[in-house]
Amino acid sequence: MTQVLDREQIAEWSAQQPQRPWTKKPARLQAWIAVAALLPAALVALIFMYTEIPGPVLLVAIYFPLQLLAAGIAAVATKGRQGAADSVIIVLSVGATLFSFIILTSVLGSLIVRGLEALWGEDGFRSSFLFQNNVYINPSTPLEYGGLGHAVIGTLMIVLIASLIAVPIGIATAIYITEVRGRAVPYVRFFVQAMSGIPSIVAGLFILTVLIVSGAMNQSAFAGGLAYAILMLPTVARTAEEVLRLIPEDLRTGALALGSTRARVVLRVVIPAAKTGVITAIILGVARVIGETAPLLLTSLKSDQTILNPLADPIAALPTYIFDNVALPYPGAVTRAWGAALVLMILVLILFTLARILGRDRLNRFR
Amino acid sequence: MSTAEYESTAEYEGDVTVLEEQFMEQKSVGPIELESQDVSVWFGQRKVLEGVNIAFPKNTVTALIGPSGCGKSTYIRTLNRLHELIPGAALAGSVLYEGKDIYDTDIDPVHIRLQIGMVFQKPNPFPSMTIRGNVLSGLKLSGLKRDQHDDIVEETLTSAGLWNEVKDRLDSAAGELSGGQQQRLVIARALAVQPHVLLMDEPCSALDPTSTLKIEETIRELSKDITIVIVTHNMQQAVRVSDYTAFFLAAENEPGYVIEQGPTTDIFGSPRDQRTLDYVNGRFG
Amino acid sequence: MAAPPTETRRDLDSAATSHRGDRIFNRGITVAAFTALLVLAGIAIFLGIAAVEAITTQGWSFLFTTEWKVDQGDEPVAGIWGMLYGSVLLSVIGLVIAVPVSLLLSVFIVFLAPRRLGRVMTNVIDLMAAIPSIILGLWAFYLLSPPAEQWQFLLNKYLGWIPIFQNDSGNFNGTPFIAGFVLAIMMIPIITSVSREVLGRTPPELINAAEALGCSLWTMLRHVALPYGRGGIVGGIMLGLGRALGETIAIFFVLKLVYDINWYKIIESEGGSVATLIVATFGEVSGPYELNLLLAAGFFLFVGTLAVNVIANLIVQKTGRSER
Repeated sequence: MTQVLDREQIAEWSAQQPQRPWTKKPARLQAWIAVAALLPAALVALIFMYTEIPGPVLLVAIYFPLQLLAAGIAAVATKGRQGAADSVIIVLSVGATLFSFIILTSVLGSLIVRGLEALWGEDGFRSSFLFQNNVYINPSTPLEYGGLGHAVIGTLMIVLIASLIAVPIGIATAIYITEVRGRAVPYVRFFVQAMSGIPSIVAGLFILTVLIVSGAMNQSAFAGGLAYAILMLPTVARTAEEVLRLIPEDLRTGALALGSTRARVVLRVVIPAAKTGVITAIILGVARVIGETAPLLLTSLKSDQTILNPLADPIAALPTYIFDNVALPYPGAVTRAWGAALVLMILVLILFTLARILGRDRLNRFR
Repeated sequence: MSTAEYESTAEYEGDVTVLEEQFMEQKSVGPIELESQDVSVWFGQRKVLEGVNIAFPKNTVTALIGPSGCGKSTYIRTLNRLHELIPGAALAGSVLYEGKDIYDTDIDPVHIRLQIGMVFQKPNPFPSMTIRGNVLSGLKLSGLKRDQHDDIVEETLTSAGLWNEVKDRLDSAAGELSGGQQQRLVIARALAVQPHVLLMDEPCSALDPTSTLKIEETIRELSKDITIVIVTHNMQQAVRVSDYTAFFLAAENEPGYVIEQGPTTDIFGSPRDQRTLDYVNGRFG
Repeated sequence: MAAPPTETRRDLDSAATSHRGDRIFNRGITVAAFTALLVLAGIAIFLGIAAVEAITTQGWSFLFTTEWKVDQGDEPVAGIWGMLYGSVLLSVIGLVIAVPVSLLLSVFIVFLAPRRLGRVMTNVIDLMAAIPSIILGLWAFYLLSPPAEQWQFLLNKYLGWIPIFQNDSGNFNGTPFIAGFVLAIMMIPIITSVSREVLGRTPPELINAAEALGCSLWTMLRHVALPYGRGGIVGGIMLGLGRALGETIAIFFVLKLVYDINWYKIIESEGGSVATLIVATFGEVSGPYELNLLLAAGFFLFVGTLAVNVIANLIVQKTGRSER
């Protein structure tokens, strides 16, 4: 004989409340957690008061291991050996997380605090810092005079030149990898990947030897742009490849079925469909190179003037401007360096955010 | 006819009183190893199961049948405390194992999961381990200590019906086995931690008919020492393998309920609810 | 019966590209695609020539000398041995710090953090990766170095009997430890990013199986997630290493470049790095011979980072494929 659902009980059941009994911790565990959290803190406070060891050192070298130990002991007392390993991992990984937050905050915070000194004077926003150049400025000149306008222009020029070279070639490479059926495709991918590992200084050395030492060209914005292009190309190609892969095959076969040539399919159908992705690839490429200093130190050097000719003379750029001012013993110069660093970081953040926003849009389009 | 209409018939009223008597009879069927009392399950705010009362007698096989999506898999996960690992999970009611509520605050879920094991629909041996390593992996993962590892490997693989096929290649990778063999390996792995109950969530639905029959054989053998609960879509399988059956059903936008439960022969031979009759005759699901 | 007519095989591929526009297109794309190869070959050749010159003039002492005397007329003796060792030492220090931190971060993001916090952390890591090395160098010089000097002083004071914590000069700036720390900051985002992706792809059915067997976080990591992700993680570590070997500017201001080898005294104020040597010496190059030496150094740097990168990519690809 079977039992059938008794509908009268439904009234009882509807009075039930959803519960999570697994989240309740027994009293013993709570006691241990309290001890594990408070005891190390108390001990450290005592040590701090009675010895000379400075605070931050104390925190890391003594508090952290003590906390680890306490957590481990608490876990062993309540959950046995397995619990000890788990609690160690949890404490350590929280520690790692805090560590990275602290570093990032320190970097960004110092940029803002010290960089603003250069950008913000007694009368408010110091636009002269953004727009003037450094002619007639020496390191001890007060901050109201001179600025990094020439460096901003230099960076923009160099990045523009690099993009004009790296973007078409990068996208063409991505097209080759995704659209062309050939035996060479895996080799091309390999070379692009290998290229992404070239250290920035090597790129600079290369342009230096091939074009400058041989006399074909001066140190100039153009040379810097070429060095940047070498670094930019793999990023653009790889991101563009990923994006092109996402375009459904049906789009291409549909266009071919309508009688289009291969070339037109790619140029008029696939690329426009991947528009946001391609733009993201370009932005990521620019973000990758915009702060690179080493290649410029060899190829475009530096300058105090505003140069508009990309071929003739050495030119200033934000990274090299910072480099020159970093270790000088004049506080004014150091402040200029921070100011330039702040401007550079803002540029990078803008590019970074743009790429994020576009990236999200791109994913949404395929839902 | 709809649920409400059926329940207002005289037939239904009569059945309910008879039901109470028989329920008392049922209870004296043997020691109950595991039972759920008034278990309701939520994901976030959505109630997906309500008032599940099932008792699993020791060393029997109980089949849970019903159309897809009515909460059977969710239900068995409340029996070994896997349900709580899903974000947003909540429940009401109690699950008694050997008389004690497994959700009490002083019960260690690891202990429960060692006593109440689980086999999943898709065979999931650990690809980075050998066959031998897989069988013993439960010991490493839970920290349970047992001696005589070689004996354990042989015993469990024999109980799972796989020993003869792999005894010469215990150190080869688990990924090289066929689907049916992998599932039997998974069963051996579950047995190595010596559970008293084994929960099986559609263990044969991804396998070919030959492997399915082999595993059903294994299930019948295992039930002499272990209590088994098996979720299945295959009604012939339920008939072949189980002693008791519970039929789950969920109407649209309603939580799932156990409509009818009892000895398998009765559920399939003389079901008392119209919906059970329709389901076991293949009229829906 | 007549013989069957001979058929001319019509190659479908060539039919597809018979249109003139397509041919030009294909040719153009192919040329562009091989730019990468061209650049790599160009670097290898031009810098290689310089390396060959350096070695033919000086012999292999170029690699194994720690002196730098370039103005001795016909007998210059200049070698990058100290720099080569220094680059390796700095990378090792960086790895010792970066690998545990990165693994812990990825475990945190994938297995411990609630979803929103995990997303925030991922963005934090990506932001760390985007920081230009010159800014890190600036920060390291003004904000990291002062407290680091203090720490190293204490380390030397209390643990100075351990050989690696010896310091004979009393100076604690420009040490391999600080430079290695900065390199670690550059490596952490790369390694974390790769590890996070790999660990996140651990098949849920394996994790379910482990949970049903009563696993704890640690046993699940040790026996399921980490073995599964091992290849990707190693690949990620090597990618980070490749980046660190070539890094110049971030450590330029926090490493005191010295030609002699500093074997193990990581809080002593002397160290080496091939990349930094090139930048540091470039400004005051005494003549074409010295410039050539820098190019030769660049060649070896190129070869080293290329090797590490290629191996890293192979490992990542190989393990990616075997998991399908």
